[in-house]
Parts: sequence; structure tokens; C-alpha cells
Amino acid sequence: MYNPKDIIELIAGNVGKTRNPFGIPKFMINRWHKDLDMPDKGDAMLFTGLMYQFVPYIEKSTKYLAKFEDTFLEGLIRFAGYVPRYLSGLGLSVITPGGEKKKFNGILQDIAKILMASNVDFFYRPDLDDYSGVLLYDLGDQEGFVQHARYVTGKLKEAGIKKLITVDPHTTYALKVLFPKYADASFDVKTYFQLVDFQSKNGHRHVTLHDPCFYGRYLDLSEVPKKVLTDLNVECVPVRNAGPFTNCCGGPAESISPKLSTEVGDRRLEELNVTGEKIVSMCPICLGNLRKSGADVEDLSTVIAQCLEK
Amino acid sequence: MALLNPNFAEEMEPFTEDTALACFNCGTCTAICPLVYEHFPRKMIRYIQIGAKDRILENAQELWRCLHCGLCTLTCPREANPGEIILGLKRFVVANWRRS
Repeated sequence: MYNPKDIIELIAGNVGKTRNPFGIPKFMINRWHKDLDMPDKGDAMLFTGLMYQFVPYIEKSTKYLAKFEDTFLEGLIRFAGYVPRYLSGLGLSVITPGGEKKKFNGILQDIAKILMASNVDFFYRPDLDDYSGVLLYDLGDQEGFVQHARYVTGKLKEAGIKKLITVDPHTTYALKVLFPKYADASFDVKTYFQLVDFQSKNGHRHVTLHDPCFYGRYLDLSEVPKKVLTDLNVECVPVRNAGPFTNCCGGPAESISPKLSTEVGDRRLEELNVTGEKIVSMCPICLGNLRKSGADVEDLSTVIAQCLEK
Repeated sequence: MALLNPNFAEEMEPFTEDTALACFNCGTCTAICPLVYEHFPRKMIRYIQIGAKDRILENAQELWRCLHCGLCTLTCPREANPGEIILGLKRFVVANWRRS
């Protein structure tokens, strides 16, 4: 296990200076929208919070963290803060496989297609789409989180944004629960699967749905994706621990202890594998961590978008 | 030997809701916690109750094992919100590190 102090100061420093936990310039991370023709004005703004875009970088960086965890080299992480942020971020970006970036960009493109097919009046403004800072909150850096949250909400308020469409549970929680509490900013927040509204019976498959903790417990939204899939003729095979009692994928521990994260992920995967059906996740952190444990896992948006294509 | 600080629960107030004293140490949180690790989070909550601030600081690293998954909070029979208490302790420790 890494010294939490070293990891927190590294992440807080990156978020403070570059507005994301990796120090990578935003224009390099947020490229999913380039090939899509989306309006920049409308009723609700699509707010990705950059979480799906981060997954390939999380996977790459935690691979190195896992390599050095509990070795004599572990302590060197405290010196990472001395490397200029954008320089280390650029380095990470260069070593992260392009294929993986493309894959996770594809998830966001599917979400945009689902919204279009559902006739949702939405728009996208990459300049206003920022990381929510939720990792700082989870790590206990309250001061850093509040500062960052005010930066993010300040931009949204200035642009007159009132309605937001989210794509992942962590950003949804930050926008719905934390921002009103700590950044004096209330938005009308809906997650994309609450807006699915197109007819198709083309699912014809069984899946194992892994509910993330934040949808299952904190936001009480687990029933919505299940209903969406059922309406599309995709049957969700029951899992032992689901809904409010869903089990964690282990992802939140990956920056401090990749070993612990994998241990918890392996246990969850064992539970999910009992059904014998393909695992479907709706959280980028769960998706990444279950993959690390060896899961054959798809994102919810991919399954929904496949029903559009048939 | 641990030095006890009877005002520690008050010292924690800026960092979390004041729910630690509601806990009656039944251990449900520990039983359901996916960490399956010693007496986490019950032990930490007990430290707050008795004011064992030094013990918390000595064992601070353990706090970051918490996944913030919320199972303990969901099942706590006293609605003591153990997950939020652990998060509050993280905030307290971070503030303490930065002060020192």
C-alpha cells in the first residue's frame, strides 16, 4: 500500500495545476466528440466529467503502481510531484495505447447516438466539460475538492447552464449531491439512461448487470437501466448482490493500493461470473477494474447502442 | 498506552456529521465491509468515541483502504453513517498532515 499522503498530494497538485488528476492537457484527453456533429446550444448540456476518457490512463498508471507497490521503490512516488505536471502528463499520454483511448471514446459516442435516437434536445461544449474533482472528495482532500468544484461550477453558471446530462455515477453524484452542498450550485441533473426513449425489441440476449455502488446505493438508480434493457428485449440475469446491496468492484482503492483493488475486484467478478452471461457495467471505474480482474465486460451504452443498429 | 482526548468528537465536528456517538459497536459495518480487514471500520469509530486521537493518527493509513462503497452506512442499525465517519476521518487526517 502506498502512503496515502504521497498519492493525495500528487493528485491534488495535478488537479490544482491542470484540472485533471493526471496532468494531461484536456485537449489531448477529450477528443471523443471530434467526429460527431453535435450542436453547441440546446436544452441540456452533455457533461461527461472526463471519467470515461481517463480509463486508459488509469489502467496504464495503476499498472506501474501495482508493479512497485510494497517494494523499496514505492516511496519514490513522493518525488513525482517535482516533475512538471504537464511533462509527466504528456509522458503518460504517450505510453497509453491509442486503441484503448479509441475504445473508451467509442462509449461516449454511443451515448451521444442514444440521446440523438431518443430525440433529446442536448448540446455539447467541450470547453465546459471538466473533471468533477470527485476523487479529491473521496480521498479526503476537502479543501482541494471545494476549490475545484467552484472552478467547474463557476464556468457552468457563467455560461448559463441549468440542465446537465451525465454519463457515469461518480460525476452524477458530484453534480447532484456534492456541488449543491459544497459549491453552492444546483443543476437539473439526469443521467443518459434516464432519457432513453426509442422503440426496439432487438436485444435478444441475456446479460449480467453489475450495479455500481453510486447508482445502487447513493443515487438509488439501479432499476432504471434494468428497465431500459428489459424494454429492449435484453434480459438481466439476477445477481446475488445487486441494487442497494451491490458489491464494490474495488476500483476506488486503485490509486492507493492496486493489490487491494484487484483483491476486491476478483471477489466481485466471482459473484458475477456465476450467471455465465456477459457482464455489463455502467461505470468507467467498474469497467476498468473488472477488466483488470479478467472480466469480459461491456458498457451499458454499447449494449443499448447495438439495439439501435439492428 | 493511549492518551485519550475527551473533546475529540468535538474536534471532529468541522470534518463530519456528529454521528460517531450513536454507534453501539454492534459490528454490522465490519461484517459487511468488502475489505474483510481486522475490525474496520468499527475500530476507528470506537477510537473517536473514546477520544483516542493518537491511535487514529498512528493508524491513519488504514482509512484509505475504505472504498467508500456505502454498504456499512446502508446496514447500520443506528444510522450512525460509518462511511461518512471514515470519510470525515480522512479529511481530519489530511488537514492534520497539512498543518504539521
